[in-house]
Parts: sequence; C-alpha cells; structure tokens
Amino acid sequence: MLRSHILPGGQTHLADRTNHFNFGLKTQEFAVPRGVDPSRFLKSCNNEEGVCIEMNHGTTTLAFKFRHGVIVAVDSRASAGQYLASNAVNKVIEINPYLLGTMSGSAADCQYWERLLAKECRLYRLRNNQRISVSAASKLLCNMMLGYRGMGLSVGSMICGWDKEGPGLYYVDDNGTRLSGRMFSTGCGNSYAYGVIDSGYKEDMTVEEAYELGKRGITHATHRDAYSGGVVNMYHMREDGWIKVCQEDVSELIHRYKKGMFN
Amino acid sequence: MSEATCLQSILNLQSVWSNQDNQVTSHFSHDLFSTHSGDLSTPSLPSVSSQPVPLPFPLSHGTTTLAFIFQGGVLAAADTRSSCSGLVACPAAQKILPIHSHLVGTTSGTSADCALWKRILARELRLYQLRHGRRLSTRGAAKLLSHMLHPFKGTELCVASGFGPCLFYVCSDGTRLQGTLFSVGSGSPYAYSILDQGVEWGLTVEEATAIGREAVYRATHRDAYSGNCVDVYHVSSKGWTRRSREDLKEEYYREKEQREKDKSRSTTGSE
Repeated sequence: MLRSHILPGGQTHLADRTNHFNFGLKTQEFAVPRGVDPSRFLKSCNNEEGVCIEMNHGTTTLAFKFRHGVIVAVDSRASAGQYLASNAVNKVIEINPYLLGTMSGSAADCQYWERLLAKECRLYRLRNNQRISVSAASKLLCNMMLGYRGMGLSVGSMICGWDKEGPGLYYVDDNGTRLSGRMFSTGCGNSYAYGVIDSGYKEDMTVEEAYELGKRGITHATHRDAYSGGVVNMYHMREDGWIKVCQEDVSELIHRYKKGMFN
Repeated sequence: MSEATCLQSILNLQSVWSNQDNQVTSHFSHDLFSTHSGDLSTPSLPSVSSQPVPLPFPLSHGTTTLAFIFQGGVLAAADTRSSCSGLVACPAAQKILPIHSHLVGTTSGTSADCALWKRILARELRLYQLRHGRRLSTRGAAKLLSHMLHPFKGTELCVASGFGPCLFYVCSDGTRLQGTLFSVGSGSPYAYSILDQGVEWGLTVEEATAIGREAVYRATHRDAYSGNCVDVYHVSSKGWTRRSREDLKEEYYREKEQREKDKSRSTTGSE
C-alpha cells in the first residue's frame, strides 16, 4: 500500500542538519530556524549559579503487568513550582480502545506529543488496515522525543496496551529512553510507589489484589510527596480493551490504608 | 586541637586563626556542662566569620536508615553499604551505633563525621552521668547533639539519629524533630511507603522487626547507594538488643525462587 507524502503547503522536506534530526518522521513538527540552537540555550540555564530551570516530573504514575493484563494508576495533581494549578487533571490519554498513554513531566509537552501519537496511531490504522502494535507506538513517541533531544522537552510516559504479542508496557522518556518492562513508576513520587508495589507484587495476583496494589502505590506516594495528590485514576488493560476501574480520592484512601496514623 | 584540625582537613574549610595564643573556648561555656575552661575538649571553629568555601562536590546521604516507635519500644534498622560516589567503600559498615545501654543512634551522611560525633556524644553523656548521678534524658541528649553541631551549621555535616525510647531526628542544619517514624537517606522514599503501610502502635516485636527489615530490603532493591546487609536494633526499657546481621542477597534469591515457583505453579495450573 502506497504511503503518500502529504506535506502541508509551505513546509519543505527537511534534510538532517548538524543538530536537528528527524528520525523517520515525514515532517518536523516545529521547524526550528537555522542558526538557533535551543539545546545550547538550555545548557546555559542549568548552571548551579545563575538561572536554573529545574525540570521535575511532579507527579506519580505507575503501571505493572500481571497475568490478567496491565494495571495503570496515576494521580491527578498539576503543580507549577509551588503553586497547585489543579487537583483534577487527567494524566492518562486514551489513544484507542487498546492503547493507553500516561503523562508525567511538563503537562503541555505530554498532552501535545501524546495527542500527536494518537493521530499517528490512527493514521497507521487507516493506512495499514490493522492496529498499531504497542512496540511500534512507543517507538513513534520515542523518535519524536529524539528529534528534539536536549532542547528542553520534559516527558516521562508509559505506553500500555494489548496487541498480538500480548500485554505490552513501555516507558518512554524525553531523553529518548525506551524500555520494555514488567513494572514502571514515573514522576517525583515514583520512589514511594516503588516501595509499595515491589513488596506487594506477585505474578499470579487476582484482579482485585492488583487493583488494591495500584491504589496503595499511588496513595502512599501522594501521602509523602508534595507534588502528587488529588484522585487515583486507575485503568485495567485487558485482552478485549481497557476499562476504567475507579477514580477515588486519596485522602479517603489513606485513612483506610495507614492503620496507625490517625489513632 | 587535633580533632579540630582533623575536621578541617575533612571539610576543607578555610578559617581565620588569630595569631594570639588565645584559648579556643568551648561552646558550652554558658551552660551547665562546662567546668572545663581552656581545655580543648570539644572541637569548635573560631567564631570569626570565615569565608564559606564551596564544597568540592554535592554531598548526599547514600544510605537507608529508619526508626519507629511502637508499644515494645523503638525499632531501628539500617543497611550496611558505605559508598564513595560510585564505589562501595565498605559493604559491612555499621550505621547504627549504640551510645549507651539505652540509647542508640542511626547515622547518615559522611561516615567519618558520624562516627566522630557519636563518640563525642557518648563521652559527653557519660560525663553528665558521672557529674549528676543520673542519665541524661533522650530529649536532652538530642538537644545536646544539636547544640554541638551548631557551630558547623552550613558546612553540610550531617548526622541523623534516632534515640530511644523517644525518637528524635537531628541534623546539622539545625533540625531537631521529635516523631514516631523517621527514615533518612537516599533510600528513604522507598522505605517510607512500606513503613506507612504497616507501622502502628500495637505491633509485636516480631512484626515490627519484619516491617523494618522489609522496608530496608525494598530500599536496597531500588536504591543504588544502599545495599549489602541489614542491621536491626530494638530498644526497650531493658536496653537495646541487636539482631544478627542478615545478608539481603539471601533474601533476594529466596524471593526470586518463590516467584519462579509461583510462576511455574500458575502455568501448570492453567493448562
């Protein structure tokens, strides 16, 4: 099947320049003018003295594979430095009924690039008459990130889905890291979540136990991390697609889980 | 004097020494601990403002230590890895140091500083006991340590300690907090969530030990700067007791075996 190059009017086909690469994408999303070097500017902003722009992923998201699919759990807090912008953000993007993407890092970057990924997945489906695999979808996102590597993107995302190979879970980073694994947690609350899900994880968990583990992980992370909070949004990726399991407030959950705290 | 110069060389500080041969006054000259004037029993920097020298590298606490209070007393647990940026300098360090029979301190930060300050604290407490005929309370011991560290504020000397049967967190930046649950070090976030789940007042000693061990184990699993073995100390009204040091490698392999067994059991079950 022919893939037609439909280039929007005015945008030239880009050749690789010294520090601007496009890894297989037909057009580059943001044309950077010649002579401008965003990565050098960003390096100057990361010195210890002077202006320091800290890119922290202020959130907690986690996902793990088990026998009955993939559990994805995220918090819902958006912070801008010390200011809490919102406690009701949706950090999971539903790409298609068989693919989910989580967001951590810069909210603008994540929302934009994951919607772009959703568009590319839809185009793939239309052109090739079959759904895109999780591996390919994560690779698309990874290549988008690599095209702007060092220029200040801040994205820590997990692509979860179920395709012909079975349940799939990939971690994709703004550095271009792309890892397949059984269990990931991203964001600045990730260490708290890791402790909980590491100790409670069993390969042959029942579905209820897995839901409970996902909720606990996010709840304990929001308890200790200032930049995570709000509600737990949990999804379960099954063979016939994902379902949204629950949306529960962490302040109620912590009362249930932390036995000795509120006596 | 030797202690002061030793500290200086560790911290690479510049200071202005006056040329006169004046006494380096002990910082306790105004409270009840000093009957010794003029002898250099505690290291202290001259109070002249010296230029703060930037540290050669950012210091961080590469460790996992934790302590919590429950009905049976205080439980303290720590890993035993002593690291020097990327190198594991000592896989069998001791991070929980008993100060006297009823007082135990956990340490985090630079091991040289911690060892030194613990010994100084032990000596000061013993002197107090001899002079006043009774032991200093844990609250008082925490305050003493905090004041001893005060001259070194801003030099990133770090000691965090749990005292039993009360629990205090003391840090060289001036923090002194009383609490029921603390965890310090680079592995502390991993430990905190496990402790949050399981710690409550009514635990038995075995349950408390299990939770402490599990928390350190999970932290060592995820944190590169914590590892090797785990030490568990339990402080009660009769004094402290120490559990034999356990190598976490065994625990890791045991859990791996268990997972393999579960996996094979589940696959055979489904067929």
